[in-house]
Amino acid sequence: MSTTEATEPRAKRIALPRTKREAQAALGPYGRTGKIVGELDERFGIAKGGRTLLDKIFPDHWSFMLGEIALYSFVVLIATGIFLSLYFVPSADQVIYHGPYKPLDGQRVSAAFASTVDLSFSVRSGLLMRQMHHWAANVFVGSIVIHMARIFFTGAFRKPRETNWIIGTTLLIMAILNGFIGYSLPDDLVSGTGLRIAYSILLSIPFVGSYLATFLFGGNFPGTLIIPRFYIIHMLILPAIIAVLIGVHLGLLVRQKHTQFPGRGRTEHNVVGSPMFPTFMAKTTGFLFMVSGALALLGGLAQINPIWQFGSYKADRISYAVQPDWYMGWLDGALRIMPSWEWTGWGHTLPWEVFFPAILFPGLVFNVAFGWPLIERMFTKDNELHNLLDRPRDRPKRTAFGAAFFAMLFVMFLASSTDVLANYFHVSLNVVLWFFRFAVFVVPLLTYAATWKICREMQGVRGIGKRKRALVVTRTASGEYRTEPSAPRPGDERDELQPEPVPVLIELEPGVTVPERTSPVDGAVGAGVRQVKR
Amino acid sequence: MMVAAMGLGGVLSLASGASATTTPSSSSGVGGISSGGGVGAGNFSSGVSLPPGVGSPSYLGGPKNSGGANASVRIYRTVGGKRHLVAYGSSAITYKTPPASYVPLGQALFAQNCSSCHGADAQGSAIAPNLVGVGPATVDFWVSTGRMPAATTNVVQANRKPPRLSPKQALEVAAFVNSLDPAVPYVPYPNLKGANLADGADLFSLNCAACHTITGMGDALALSTFSPSLHAATAQQVAEAIRTGPANMPRFTGNLLDSQLRDVVAYVTESIQHPADPGGSGLGGIGPVAEGFIGLLFGVGGLALICFWIGDRA
Amino acid sequence: MSNTTNEPDGHEGHGGRTPVPMPVARFDDPHMQEAATHPQRTERIIALSFVLGTLAVAGFGAAYWVDGPPWVLAVTFGAGLLLLGFGLTAWGKYLMPQGPFVEERHRLASTADEQDAMSAALVQRTGVVVKRRRMLGGLFAGGAGIFGIVAIFPLLRSLGPVPGNTFDVTNWRRNSLLVDSNGRPVRVDTLQVGGIMTVFPAGAQNTEEGQAVDQTVLIRVSTDDITTQPGRESWGPRGYVAYSKLCTHLGCPVGLYEQQLQLLVCPCHQSMFNVLDGAVPNFGPAPRPLPQLPLKVDSSGHLRAQAGYDQAVGPGFWERTTR
Repeated sequence: MSTTEATEPRAKRIALPRTKREAQAALGPYGRTGKIVGELDERFGIAKGGRTLLDKIFPDHWSFMLGEIALYSFVVLIATGIFLSLYFVPSADQVIYHGPYKPLDGQRVSAAFASTVDLSFSVRSGLLMRQMHHWAANVFVGSIVIHMARIFFTGAFRKPRETNWIIGTTLLIMAILNGFIGYSLPDDLVSGTGLRIAYSILLSIPFVGSYLATFLFGGNFPGTLIIPRFYIIHMLILPAIIAVLIGVHLGLLVRQKHTQFPGRGRTEHNVVGSPMFPTFMAKTTGFLFMVSGALALLGGLAQINPIWQFGSYKADRISYAVQPDWYMGWLDGALRIMPSWEWTGWGHTLPWEVFFPAILFPGLVFNVAFGWPLIERMFTKDNELHNLLDRPRDRPKRTAFGAAFFAMLFVMFLASSTDVLANYFHVSLNVVLWFFRFAVFVVPLLTYAATWKICREMQGVRGIGKRKRALVVTRTASGEYRTEPSAPRPGDERDELQPEPVPVLIELEPGVTVPERTSPVDGAVGAGVRQVKR
Repeated sequence: MMVAAMGLGGVLSLASGASATTTPSSSSGVGGISSGGGVGAGNFSSGVSLPPGVGSPSYLGGPKNSGGANASVRIYRTVGGKRHLVAYGSSAITYKTPPASYVPLGQALFAQNCSSCHGADAQGSAIAPNLVGVGPATVDFWVSTGRMPAATTNVVQANRKPPRLSPKQALEVAAFVNSLDPAVPYVPYPNLKGANLADGADLFSLNCAACHTITGMGDALALSTFSPSLHAATAQQVAEAIRTGPANMPRFTGNLLDSQLRDVVAYVTESIQHPADPGGSGLGGIGPVAEGFIGLLFGVGGLALICFWIGDRA
Repeated sequence: MSNTTNEPDGHEGHGGRTPVPMPVARFDDPHMQEAATHPQRTERIIALSFVLGTLAVAGFGAAYWVDGPPWVLAVTFGAGLLLLGFGLTAWGKYLMPQGPFVEERHRLASTADEQDAMSAALVQRTGVVVKRRRMLGGLFAGGAGIFGIVAIFPLLRSLGPVPGNTFDVTNWRRNSLLVDSNGRPVRVDTLQVGGIMTVFPAGAQNTEEGQAVDQTVLIRVSTDDITTQPGRESWGPRGYVAYSKLCTHLGCPVGLYEQQLQLLVCPCHQSMFNVLDGAVPNFGPAPRPLPQLPLKVDSSGHLRAQAGYDQAVGPGFWERTTR
């Protein structure tokens, strides 16, 4: 071969192969994959960073996957949403519905409603997509909530991850808003009632309320502008913001690396778990399929939002037993239990019975949520970096506060179904409402006390909740007793291994780390193929 | 006995749509009908005080074909020189009074099942209202749905339960009570052929959904009262309830034409009672509360369980 | 495993970059072993899962082809995805190396010198610029601030009209004829005692605005004239009372009437209004009575309004004055 090759790129030095074997060998020890890596690396410089990415370690605890439920529900939302957007007509113009559903045939309905009914009855797989979309929205918000709960109870929001916590809380608010706007799009009787309530809530804001309401709706309720405006907000503006925020959220996660629970070999300065490729990618891709599958099953087996039964929204009619979707339920419950304290004076009215439960109270809740890292730092005076998580029982006050907070929100959610509960348990509606007026204070206090106590109790017990190794008692012939731990159960040994760095090269057989080159096409390249372990 | 005396001047055909004597003007002499039309709320000790003068105005007037005797078709029978209105209505609904032969049977049943609370002469007592002048439709509704005889007097409202009397027996009791002081409305027989379901749906959402919910599931109302589920009612019972306004339910008379009532009845018996649930399980027709539970329990909970399987424990 | 530095092709420098340590694992290292206790059986289960999943997904295609009902589409699609996903996840969990592997966290923060350099760049360069031209900075800041405020105008004001008196007025006037939702006028014998209907001023029953704002419930509580509040002696002829249907809490239509309890119950949050005393709320969150429409019977027996509502209907808002 020529002698000037040492300075030229390697690829040029390979002579044209004459046989298939030579062609295979000419690709190098890693075959076609190696060639592709080489080509991409020459253009984008991906080899070094890419390898780091492949070695990325993900801690394996099950509760770290809750955020993935949210992420993959969002993927399903986008996919099904694109389908829906090809059929939905975002217009409040009145049309006459004609279609297979007889109780609507010939009725004057809005175009938005008619297009949604058409999608449900007359488009193949339309109803499945619509219901998958709605279930995915419910699961999206629900999984964000339990994911936030996990972050809260394990203290993963502490420095350096406060920003991610704030982004996450913002994502929660966006998700809730987008869900509300989304199910209001079909303009049916049930969601239209919710819109009327939303309009009145805007009205209740002092000074600017009536302006905000008429600005957003284009006049008095309902107007014809709100449906097309909501459509754009729901399918363009908010999803774009959510997608960008998710990107930043995940980007921060990659940069700061995931937190982990304390354990064998785990310190503040490392991450222990399974590697990105192939293990984590397999598990997470499989999980994406499973989330989609679960949502598909829900989407066809459990009917959700059957708007044809409700009819198109008309402002002078209403159904009883109307609740918003569950993630707005806590606001509806707050509105129900609030006493009717309206302030009037000096030519103005301040409807506290609306303004407080619907504006101030959620504002307070979300401000506490946003500010929690700061609030906790005020109490703990802890300015350290934390990459190891707390066990909830190790922070009894935080855990108890979080439990009480959730208890309050849950009681509010139940309070939105006072009539359903009164009907189911056959109790007077008035009694049920008074019960909730007290429960919303009493239950969180009791929850705080009980949770705090449970945490303290659990702290005192070593190894609580863990599977312990049995002690084998041996008696010698001379009557001496010894105890030693029994052998670990199958599968438990892995928990006792010391973590190792991800290997780059794996011995395929003893002493061999690189596949053998079958014929040295290029003598200069082919040196040192077999690795001998030193 | 009355059946045997059909004859002079009386056209008796109780089949709906049969030819009959039509008397268009609203002030024709209709003998023997008193101004009844609903439960005398003032007699019942419901704990609510009513202003004086509350009663039930006459059904005889009112808009035409609105369930009152001012209908396009009226059928009379003359007995002993007196003209009795035995049926009225339109092609949508016919209202008939039970045959006179039912009266003695009804009297016996009433004595056995009802007189202990309502009194032997149906005048009422401290625990039961006066039934004189309520009309046969009211009685037939309460008895055929099983609400009466009441199981106990200690409740705020009597609810549907397996009826103790058969449908025919219910009509017999209605005949007896009506004989004490005949009143309208008579027992409705809706003719659902030609009903317009879309109009029925529209009327249902305007008039009925606010109490019974848009899916007809019923729900809790104020002070231990409940709107019942509509899924067990027959077409006749739906029409009876709407025209007579039992218990706390309002009464729809002149504001609902017979054709509109027929549409609502058809909508209830067809669409409400056989809901179109192509999307899977209807989740009880409860709405977002049930959907929230399912979504959180099975959706999020199920997926969290899968996470539990995939991942490690600490 | 050992941390040997290897150069697979023996080249030096490797294009000018320094070689990195490449950890090598032995083939029988427990970190590289499968987690499954019975790998063969696991592999068979996963294979079965893939096969069934593929069949199910193909079944979805078939069901779609013949326009099957939604539940068939969902079961095939969902089960297929679940099975495929389960197989892939199980493969990752049981048959791939679990480790545990460790990765070092590099210190996120830069060195103190680097931090100082950054801060110095910001502070000193700004100081150089602004100290010399202090006025410019202030002017620009002021302009940017004004721009920020003004930029919001199109986002808000262009959206819609100012409220004006839109919340204070309805279409009810003196002598407005009461009609139902089909436009039929209400006569004095339309309702019996215990009856309720929704009424509008003639002409407004078909308009969206009319339905939203003018909606009124008409209830007959008696055959005699009824006075709900002092000063309203003529408002309830022949036992008819009319109230605005818009709940004073949040504007839901108050269509739920219980004739024995004489209560109007709002279906949204269960405010309860007493029909006989002017719809005063006696339970629930509603703060004010429903405004009452004064009625009269005209010479042809039709019901008409004596005048419009004497106050704004519906929920409260800042500019609402009590009269």
